[in-house]
Amino acid sequence: MSTAERTTYDGGTRHKAAPAPSAQTGTVQPRKRRGVNREGLEAGRRGTRTLLWILLAAAMVLYGFPFLYLLFTSFKTPIDTIAVPPTILPREWTLENYANALGRNGVPASFINSIQTAVISTLLSLVLAVPAAYGITRYKTLSGRIFIMAALVTRMVPPVAIGIPLASMMASMGLADTPIALSIAHTTISLPLSIWLMSSFFEAVPKDLEEAATVDGCSRLGALWRVVIPVVSGGVAVTAIFAFLASWNEFLFALLMTAIRSQTTPVVIANFQTQFGLDWGSMTALAAVYSIPVILLTLLLQRKIVAGMTLGAVKG
Amino acid sequence: MRISDRRFALFLMTPAALFLAVFVAFPLFRLVADSFFKISPIAGGPREFVGLDNYVRAFASEAFTGAGWRTLAYTLVVVTLEFALGLGMALLFTMLGRSSQIWRTVFMYPLMIAPIVAGLLWKFLMIDNFGLIGTLLHQAGILSDPNQIGWLSDPNIVLFSVAIPDIWLTTSFMCLVLFAGLQNIPGDLIEAARLDGARAPALLFRIILPLLRPVIAVALVVRGIDAARAFDTILIQTNGGPQSASETMSLLIYRTMIRFGDPGLASAMGTIYLLAMLAIAFFAVATIWRPGKDT
Repeated sequence: MSTAERTTYDGGTRHKAAPAPSAQTGTVQPRKRRGVNREGLEAGRRGTRTLLWILLAAAMVLYGFPFLYLLFTSFKTPIDTIAVPPTILPREWTLENYANALGRNGVPASFINSIQTAVISTLLSLVLAVPAAYGITRYKTLSGRIFIMAALVTRMVPPVAIGIPLASMMASMGLADTPIALSIAHTTISLPLSIWLMSSFFEAVPKDLEEAATVDGCSRLGALWRVVIPVVSGGVAVTAIFAFLASWNEFLFALLMTAIRSQTTPVVIANFQTQFGLDWGSMTALAAVYSIPVILLTLLLQRKIVAGMTLGAVKG
Repeated sequence: MRISDRRFALFLMTPAALFLAVFVAFPLFRLVADSFFKISPIAGGPREFVGLDNYVRAFASEAFTGAGWRTLAYTLVVVTLEFALGLGMALLFTMLGRSSQIWRTVFMYPLMIAPIVAGLLWKFLMIDNFGLIGTLLHQAGILSDPNQIGWLSDPNIVLFSVAIPDIWLTTSFMCLVLFAGLQNIPGDLIEAARLDGARAPALLFRIILPLLRPVIAVALVVRGIDAARAFDTILIQTNGGPQSASETMSLLIYRTMIRFGDPGLASAMGTIYLLAMLAIAFFAVATIWRPGKDT
């Protein structure tokens, strides 16, 4: 027992006094280390590792299978799609479902709506969140602390509760059934998240940086724009991806606030179910077309995204 | 003249604060205000002040209390399973170390999929007759008939079936957050415990989990809030059915507002729902997180 030195653990979060293992005695030695548990938890023995790899393989197959099945189904013929009993692989590979889905009225337009809405919402989120997060982290005022708490509470508001009042507000502003109205609604979801993320990124920028810039004659706004933002450009990119995804995948606001003109693809996918009976083939094809670009995009940018996702919770 | 730093900070925050005030706080205010009125569903229709009548009606209706319990059960199921699976995967990735990096990335992919697509996909897997899961279980000899389990048509189990896409979608998030937390545990602490003869369960329950506590708290609260608001996946799979057996609070409010055309009652339900979520979230943060207190 005495060989163990007591270590207080920072937990990566702001509060101190995370519980240390109670059985240990010795001197308190606060410190912070990262990526040091390779010798700790990482399995060493070859037999154990083989077993772990087998477990991982099983988990990955189970986890990946549902989406692969969606892809396989989208290449089946429309009749085979609902064959009893179902087969995993298509008996005959065809693009028929894709042709049906993409050729359907309103589908291409819904893609344009989805892109428009997500782009407007992303820009709006960034324009509002970047200065706000900077104001919160750099000046640490009471109003800033209150604001970031308020932004967190906004996360708890169920969209179904504000969707209808929001829709009637948009209608009275003459924005009913437009991508702008929907992107504003989506920004109510992505803005608190963006502020939270950007605050973590600004936290990491040394204060001397813009102090030097202001001494050189830059205004504070100029320092933010020309010195600080270029430094956190990676963080801005991550925040942009999150805001884009939040809008791209959103369904409830889109259902409540769009009619025909500004319908986004998720609403169209859901409508397949009622309007055209059960056209599973077209539905799987459209779902695949809608999902694959974002999956590829995020896999390409995965390192940054992982950083962004864990930042909020772990450094919170 | 240079304005003070405090003013400048305020100036930077104002646009975002105004946006949230206009597009979140104001609709919320409208929601609460509407909950005291009997409102005709037709736009511009008559409004009549009825005091707390909508609240009385909400609490008296079986649909509302039922949806409340179902939402709670759904949230607990989703969060518990996600946490168990996410922790398992995070430990697996940690024990495999750096060589598992590419699989960590692949494991993340469901996070990018729209909930509506996930709901649809799982509906397709679980649906009666041509659903693949029943067929595979039948071929494996576990079920005598592919339709023996009515995943989405049996009112007794449907609430668990509709939770599956949600769990599938966001176990990755749990895993990511817990994995990041695990990387912050000093390796020599684990070594020391091992030298002291701690076995795997003791290592997990006495050392790893207590150290992860703050991270776990954040992950559970974030996911709990999301699960309690679940709408897309359930709507597309069952639309709350059969016999309202999978109707959670979001769906009930939606149907009360749109289908039954009773915005006043729906607003009262929404207000209660929001207050309950806030109360539970604060309670959860206070008990699980316990900032500043020792175990």
